[in-house]
Order: sequence, then structure tokens, then C-alpha cells
Amino acid sequence: MSTLQDLYKLPLNQHKVLVANRGEIAIRIMRACAKLGLPFCAIYTAEDAASGHVRHAREHGGEKSLYRVSSYHDANELMAVADVAECTAVHPGYGFFAEDFRFARRVTKRDRKMIFIGPSWKIIRELGDKINTKRLARSLGVPTVPGSDRPIYDEVEAERIARSVFEFQEQQGIKRPLVLVKASAGGGGMGIEEVYDIDMFRSVYRRIRNYALRQFKDEGVLIEQRITDFNHLEVQIVSDRSGQHPVHFGTRNCSIQSTGLQKRIEVAPGFAPHNISYSFNAEKVLVDIVHYSLTMARKVGYDNVGTWEWIVTRNGDPFLMEVNTRIQVENGVSARISTVNNEGGVDLIAEQIRTGLGQPLGYGQEAIAFDGVGIEYRLIAEDPDNRFTPWVGRIERFSWQDQPWLTMLTHVPTDEPYEIPTEFDPNLALAIVWGKDLDEAKARGREFLDGLVLEGHNAAGDSLKSNVNFLRANTERILRF
Amino acid sequence: MDNNIEKRLQSLKDRLSYARDIFAGKHDDSLSMLEEKLAEFNARASMGEIQDPYTDIVTLEDLFSYVESRLEGLITPMDKVRIVRHPQRICLRDILENVYDNFTEVGGQDEHSLDPSMLIARAVITRRHGKKTHTQSVMIIGQEKGHGAEFRNGGSVKPWGNAKAQQYMRVAETEGIPIHAYIFTPGSYPVEDYPGAAQQIARNIYCMAGLRVPVIAVISEGGSGGAEAIGLADKRLMLSHGYYSVISPEGAAAIEGHLKAGERATPELIEHCAEHLHITAQDNLRFGYIDRIIQEPPLGARPNHFEFFRQLRQEVIRATDEVVIQSRGLPGFRKLALSRLRRPDINLDETYLRWGLSSSNKDRLVERRQQKYLHFAREAALDKRPFLTKNAAALRDWLSKPWVHLKYDFYRKHQRRIKSMVEEVGSEIDLIKSRLFSPWRKIARLPAKKTQAAELTSLSNWVDDQRRSKWNYLSPRYKIDRTLTCPNSATYGCLDLWGPDLFAEFAGVCSHCGYHFPMEPEWYVKNVFDVDSVFEFNAEIEAGNPLEFPGFDERIAQAKAKTGVKSGCMTFEARIDGIKMVVAMLMGTFRGGSVGAAEGYKFVEAAERAAKKRYPFLAYVHGTAGIRIQEGTHGVIQMPRCTVAVRRYIQAGGLYMVLYDTNSFAGPVASFLGCSPYQFAVRSSNIGFAGPGVIKETTGMDIPPKYHRSYRALSRGHIQAIWDRRQIRANLKQALLTIGGRNLYYR
Repeated sequence: MSTLQDLYKLPLNQHKVLVANRGEIAIRIMRACAKLGLPFCAIYTAEDAASGHVRHAREHGGEKSLYRVSSYHDANELMAVADVAECTAVHPGYGFFAEDFRFARRVTKRDRKMIFIGPSWKIIRELGDKINTKRLARSLGVPTVPGSDRPIYDEVEAERIARSVFEFQEQQGIKRPLVLVKASAGGGGMGIEEVYDIDMFRSVYRRIRNYALRQFKDEGVLIEQRITDFNHLEVQIVSDRSGQHPVHFGTRNCSIQSTGLQKRIEVAPGFAPHNISYSFNAEKVLVDIVHYSLTMARKVGYDNVGTWEWIVTRNGDPFLMEVNTRIQVENGVSARISTVNNEGGVDLIAEQIRTGLGQPLGYGQEAIAFDGVGIEYRLIAEDPDNRFTPWVGRIERFSWQDQPWLTMLTHVPTDEPYEIPTEFDPNLALAIVWGKDLDEAKARGREFLDGLVLEGHNAAGDSLKSNVNFLRANTERILRF
Repeated sequence: MDNNIEKRLQSLKDRLSYARDIFAGKHDDSLSMLEEKLAEFNARASMGEIQDPYTDIVTLEDLFSYVESRLEGLITPMDKVRIVRHPQRICLRDILENVYDNFTEVGGQDEHSLDPSMLIARAVITRRHGKKTHTQSVMIIGQEKGHGAEFRNGGSVKPWGNAKAQQYMRVAETEGIPIHAYIFTPGSYPVEDYPGAAQQIARNIYCMAGLRVPVIAVISEGGSGGAEAIGLADKRLMLSHGYYSVISPEGAAAIEGHLKAGERATPELIEHCAEHLHITAQDNLRFGYIDRIIQEPPLGARPNHFEFFRQLRQEVIRATDEVVIQSRGLPGFRKLALSRLRRPDINLDETYLRWGLSSSNKDRLVERRQQKYLHFAREAALDKRPFLTKNAAALRDWLSKPWVHLKYDFYRKHQRRIKSMVEEVGSEIDLIKSRLFSPWRKIARLPAKKTQAAELTSLSNWVDDQRRSKWNYLSPRYKIDRTLTCPNSATYGCLDLWGPDLFAEFAGVCSHCGYHFPMEPEWYVKNVFDVDSVFEFNAEIEAGNPLEFPGFDERIAQAKAKTGVKSGCMTFEARIDGIKMVVAMLMGTFRGGSVGAAEGYKFVEAAERAAKKRYPFLAYVHGTAGIRIQEGTHGVIQMPRCTVAVRRYIQAGGLYMVLYDTNSFAGPVASFLGCSPYQFAVRSSNIGFAGPGVIKETTGMDIPPKYHRSYRALSRGHIQAIWDRRQIRANLKQALLTIGGRNLYYR
């Protein structure tokens, strides 16, 4: 039985990575492994047999590189596959087990230990707890959403705080102040309610408290200001296992979202102060949030890739929202505008795997430079006019014009029809467009969308619905507050 | 042959078949000889060869009597079991007809009864004193076996039958007449209906522990819980051929032989168990659990033993008189009256003693009864406390009593009054102050805005951040890298759980369906109560083997070695958020959490400690399989005994709560646990009287699945709520603050 430290000392090519995910991210992880000369092992479920990642694993994987499991959600099965395939590390991708500290803990604490390619489980746990993150931020002077930073159990105290959150907003000149009551133990948007009138507060508070008690066995609630008019920005952080020298790969703006607050267009960098005028000092905001994010990363000894999510109000006040302790879908758009030691072709997933397995990062912030603007479109089979309802059916034609400024990431085959599985989210492809400035990037984005062919039918014979028109219409809005 | 001779012959035939039945094949030579003689007489009589059949039949009857009294000396305990179960055995109706002068059956007649196996009657006893005749009423309560009539169910009483008994005990209490309880039961009918078997027996015992009328019990067949349901009496008489036991010998044999459902124990094993359980009247008199033995005719009383009924009448009258005398009057007079009663030649029908009691007499009656039970079975536990410690504790108790009394009964009462006065004055002053200073306050308020913004945006103080170190104790099983399957996975599709998650962070709760895997007792001790607040007492009282049951010494020693504790009950003081309480924990890890003399002793001591200190009292049942059968009646007596302790505690104004976890069954649930007004269960626990195997065995019923689940206990009103294990601490705190107890120290 080897210890984790022994595993970190292994040379790269003696590792084998379990790709514990599906679709587009599974393909990107396998490609990154290949780039690093690492064997890998992929998994798939019966419904997912036609997915591109299965084909990719079959064509590019070696021995013991593809296993069928009954569910991507069953950790026991993943462990069994890892043992049979003799994997030494697990890459969770995003979603599924990516931010599950228990899974990470299990991978590293079981009898046959493996490396979890992601931050250490303690960091996932620490930053996965919203109260803990908020308190950590405040202890470092990092701005957070005004409101309580600990669970409130007492009704009288809760009302006093809610009252002062209302008053605070009135002093800021906010016309319709809102207070958010949320279960402190909750997550994923459950147990959250808005209050627009202090007289309503007590009944909402009691409802949330009772819900929290039933659902999470903890009746503590958080009381915060609800910010409505904001932009959603992110800072991409990369660090090696030393946790000492985190670097950043710039900022992203993810403000164009569906009605369900799912990201649809991501842009790097986060603002374009040279092309667009803002009512605040946008350049300073970007510098500040990068600085705050790195401060926190250093404090916790952050030891892999991660994203600090921020909301920036119309006044230019940034507030830390949360930390995503995983690789994100949109990591490619940051990589696209970055160079390391003046070399392009940065692959953040490869960097994640390399550092995750114990290699030092090998360069500092000064080696990283940024050039131009990147736009990532998420191509999704859905109906934006009807509350972004997912569309399920068969894709018959899917093609685009290859361009030097275009990167397409997809698990949907272009040479044969593809049935969209109903079990997973109907994400079809990511298109990353690069331009030397915002105007060029937008023009190329439109050019790409105009040339895209995406056709198909569902069982009822209706033709495919996609968000291409939504993406085209919103390209104009990019980086505008 | 005339009719009379034929009748007497028939009677001899009955005696013979009876003897054959009760000896089950033994003593065949003697019985065959009788059979031969009987056949010979029969043959000769029918041929008309006998000159004087009346003389000859007397000779034959004498022979029968001679053989019977010789066999009487050879009776084994198992033979006595067969005697009390025999259809020819006297039953309650025979007693009503022959012992009492008149009676009216109440609460149902024959098969038209809520439960024909429980018979209630108002009966009268007529006594003459000089020329005056006095009629005294009693309430008769007892199981009716009805000479094997099927609808009587063998005297196995259903829960509603016991409820009927409880109802009429209350009636007797209202009317102020004594209760005569006749115990003719192999055990209670173990159905969990409304009410549940255990639930109702517990209510009965609790009721009897405080009944304010004399109660006399006569035991013929005293089968465990069923017997206790009407057996908590001031005087307990026992028929010489009866048995009084924690379990039937067959049941004990099934447990001893580790038999699975459907398997039968060998007669030898059953005989062995019957002998070593010490179930006879003589054994129980020696232990002190009965007061007197009523001698039966050779081979046991049958309905035509009229002399026996006369004797029984004398004995129940004497017992009632004794109880009445002991409850009233001056000590000197009491002694005199008692000695008169015990004169052998006295005919109690020709004396008279009024059975009514004054209110203070009734107090004394109840106190005497309670003390009697509290003192039972102490010697059956190994008390290894050093002599000095024991005496120091007793001395401390004695000294602290007046102090505690002064503190709570006097000082606290007046303190409250003073406090409320101070508060009233204080609020008046505040009002005047606020009026005086209101102009200044507005000015003083302005800078508050800044602190408000600071409060909303900067780090606050948070002292009670215990979320990280959620559990103070983790089950050692968390160190093992293995996955476990939730028993509900087939129903709810729970994914397998990883041991290290399950037994540490999840507290043994399935994260999908909430199933509770059993945890060690330590988990509760360390995680429910404040850290380092647990102070164990009486750890030196050890479980032993009071009946010297063969092979049991080793098994008890094994249990002690395995668990590191000396008995299945751990009693300690602990705090929850600073509120002090006394806890008695029955540990399922020590011989299934079974209750014997030591466990009962510790439980009683804990209840008394809680009462004295005005602490809340929690019975935490990690698990209990019932009464420890190898201790026989030393075990079963813990049912009334601990219930008495609990009743005294509750009546003193305490808060007695019970929390069930895992499996809680049989005696303890049917007495001192089940009588609590505030019972709770942890999810996935099972609560009931008898397990599924025993129910199938005794009733022949196939029970539906989930029959003993806590949710069913909740539906039938046995428990008040079901708690999540992770919430025990919070729920206990809530309960401590909101329910019970006028005399708790923190109120």
C-alpha cells in the first residue's frame, strides 16, 4: 500500500488517470492525458454508448481503457473500475463528483490510495461551505455580499439583521431593496427566498427555518442583501500541490445566461475598458478581484485549478460569490487568450493534471501574458423562446467551417447521426472564437454562427431547436454592463 | 353397579389420567399398578362379583391417595408446569364459586367478552362476628383458563383484556374495596394492536404501583409479563404447585439451545431449564418474591378439592386483613392484631375487620407497597462497592436530604417571588428612564449607522462554531475501507455507502433513505451530552449469576470482557447545554441489553438519585432484549420494582423520558420503560413485546412485515415522536425546556 506522497513522486508516465466523467469534458481530459503521455481509462453508461467520448477512448485508449458502469453517480463502481484498470489518479471533470469532498476524501483515504485531480478534500470542504467561505473572505478583507456571515438561529436577531440590511440598501440609494433569506446548510438554490417588505420577513424566515430543519437538520439561516443588477465575473486560478504560488489566468465575464441562470456565453477578459466605457473604473475592478482571489488562494494553500466567482454591481463594487473548486466548462476561453513564456496553446486541463499529479507548476505570474478577446458559445439543443426547454431528438447534420481562430469542442459526431440522451444535459458543443480585440471577436463570432449547420428531428418529426439565434442576438451585448 | 359407585370410579379414572398427564410417562410402574387395580375392580364390579362395593372402593381410593402422596414427593418443577396447564386444574371460576360467597361477573360474560381470558368479578365475603353478619366486597381480577375452553385462549390475555383489568382496578380504587388478583397465565398474548401488549402491561404495572386499595395476588401460573400485569400486590400468595417464572421452560430452552424458528427443544433441555430457572413456589418464597405458600392437595388442586378452597378462603382473608392492619393504627396495636391473625386455629370467617382505609392509611399502604418492591432482589446483584464507599454514600444521602429539601422546597419557592418583584420594579424604572432620556437618545443614535454597515460587511463573532467538529466520538468501524449496503436499497435504491463516511460523518445514517445503522453505546454517551460532562456512578454493581444457572458464569464473564463494563446498564450524570440530568442506559452490547438484578438495581438507584437532586431522568435504551431469563424471577421482579421507582420519581415532580434505539422488546418495555408519559424512538428502531419468532410460535399468527417498527409504535400511541439520531441532542434539549416536571432544579 503506497502513501499519497509516494504517488506524488511517481514519474508522470507511470500514472494512469480514471476519467470519471462523460461527453465533451471526458474527451478534453483524454486529450490532455495523451498530450502528457499518460494512459487513461474512460467510463460510460448504456445510454451514453454513442457519445463521442466512448469512441475517442476506443480509438485512442490502450488496454483496459474503457468500462461500462451503471451510473456515473455511483462512487463504488468508479472505485471498482479504477482498481481493475489499475488507475493511480481520478479526474472528476465538472459536475458529478467534481466538488464532492467525500468522494475526494475516499479516493485519497481508501486502502488503495489514488490521487484526486482537484484540490485536496479539505480545501473542497472548506470552500464548499458558503458560511466558511464568506467568513474566510471577511477575515482577509475581501468584500462579500452585505448581510450575516453566520447562521442565525434566533428570530429576534434575524429580524434585526434583516431590518439593517434594508436600511443599508436605502442608504446606498437602492430603490427597491431586497433581502435574501437562505438556509445556511442548503445549496443548489434550495431553501432560498426573497423578501421585499420587512413586514413579510418573519413569515418567510419561519418558512425557511422549518424547511431547513426538515431538509438539512439545521435550522440556521443566512440573511443577505439580494443584488439584482450585476455582472458575473470569474478569476481563473492555477496552483501546484505546494499551494504556495498560485497564479491566475485572467478574468472571464459570464453575464449572458439563460433564464435559469445557466451560462450561455463566456468572454475573456472580464471587461473591455478600451473599447467600452463603464460607469466605474473597470480596469481597477479586474485588478482588485484578481488580487482578492489570489489572497484567498494563498491563505488556504489552494493546490489545483479553481475559479473565484464574483458579482460586480453597477457601482463597480465587487462581491465574492463563491469558489468553484474544479475545472470549469469555460476554462478554454481563458486558455485561448493566454500565453506562457510567449507560447500559445495553453491547456489548463493538462496543467491541472500535471500539477495535480505532483509536478511543480514551473513558472510564475510574470511568465503569463494575455492577448486579444475570446468568446465561448455554448451550443445547446433547447428552445430559448420557451424558457430554454431542452430539446431531445436526433441530430442529423452538424458541421461548421474550420477557421484558425475557432476551436470546436464536442462529443457529437459529425459523420453520423446522433441521438441526444435524455439522461444528461443537452450540451452539444463549445465553440471558442478568438479576435485580436472585442470588435474582431464579435465579428468572427457572428461569422461562425452564420456558417453553422445544425439540423435534426425528434420522434414527433419536429425539427431541431437550438440556441444559435439567442447566441447571435446576444453577441452584440457582450461585455456591456 | 349403582350410580354412586360409577361416579366414584369415573373420578378415579380422571385422577389416573391426570397423573399420567402430569408425569408425562414417568413413574409408569406405580401408575400402571393403579390402572390394573382399577380395571380389575371395574371388571369385577360389572360382573357383580363384589359383595360390598362401598368398602372395596374406599380401599381402592385409599390406594390412589397413598400412591398420589408418594408421587407428590417426586414432583419436579416441569411436572408443576404440566400441573398448572392441565385442563383439570382449578380455574378462576372454581375459585369464585367456592371461595367467595357470591359474585357478579363484570366486563363481559363467557365468550361474550372483550377478552374472555381476563375475568373480572365483584365478589362478596360474608363474615360473622358474634351475632352480626358483615358482607365485604372485593374486586376479583384474574386470568380464566376455563378448563381448556378454547375461547379462553389458555389465559393468555390480549392487550385490551389487560386494559379491562386496569379499568376495574380504578373502579375498585374509586369504591375503596380490596382487589384480589388471581394469576393463571402462561404469558400475555404478544400482539401489537391498539394498545400494544407491552404498552398496556406497562400501564397496568404503573397503575398498580400507586393503587390506593389493598391488593392481594394469588399465583398459580405466573408467566412473566402476563403475570406482572395484575401481580403488583401488597401480598403475594402462591399455590404450592404453581410456578412463577420469567419465561416458559420451553421458551427458555429455545433460547438456551439457540433454536431457530420451527425447531423444537428436547424434553431433557426443557426439564433442565425448568429446574434451573427456580420457578416453584418454594424457590420464590426463599427469594422473598412471594409472602406465603398455600398448600395444595397431592398432585395439585382440582375442582373437587373443597378443603383446599376453604383454606384458600382463609388465606386471602388473612392476607387482606394483614394488609389493612399494617396500613393503619398504632404500631403496638398493629403487632397485636397481626399476631392474632396468624394464630393457626383462628377461623377468620368468625372475626371481622373493616377493610376501609382513611386517606393517611392509604398513603401508608402505597408507601409500604413501594418500599417492599424497592427492596427486592438487591442481594441478587453483585455490589462490589467497597464497604466504606457504600456507607459514605448512604451517609451523604442522609445528610444532604434536609439541605436539598431546604434548597428546593423552601428557598426556591420564595426566591421566585422575590425575583418577580425585582423584575416588576426594574421595568417601571426602565420606563421612566426611557421617557427622561428620549431627547438625547436620538442624537446618540446617529453614529450607529456606521457600525451597522460594519456589521453587515465585516467578520462577526461566532462563538458556537461546532460545525466542523460535529462528532466527539466516531465509531471505530470508520477505519475500515469497505462499502455497506443499506437494508432499504431494494426499496429506495440507496447506493452502497462507504464505511468511513457512514460511521464517521454520517453518524451511521444512510444518506439516501435515512436508515439508521446501529451504533455503539459510546457514540451516544459522547455525542449526545456535553463534552466531559459524563460522570458515571455505581459502576461497581455487577451482573452475576444469582440462580447459579449452569454455564452462565462464563457467559457473563465473557460479556464483561467483551464490553469492558460490568452490567448492561450504565448510569451516569451528564449535561446537555449545561442542564444536568441523570441517565440510565441499557446497552444492547451487553447480553442483548437484557435486564437482571444488577441492571434493575442501578436503574432504581438512578431514579432515586434523580429524584433527590431534582434532575431530569432519561432512560436511554440503546437496546434491550427483555428480562435476563437466566436470572429467573430475580429478573422478572425488576419489572414492578423499577416501575415503582419510576412512579415515585414522576410523582415527586420529575421529568422521566425514555428514548428507544435499535431493538427494544419484552419486560423492560412492558414496565418501567413503557410507562413513561414521554417516550421517543430513534428512527429504524423496533419496539414491541415479543419478537416475530415468538409471536409465530405462541399465536400461530404470521405477522406482517415492519410489525415492530417505531412508526407503528408511534401510530398506536406508544411513543410520542421519532427522532433522527443526529438530532437527539437538540431534541432532548428542546424536551428538557418544554415538557414535564414541576420539581426540576432548573425550573
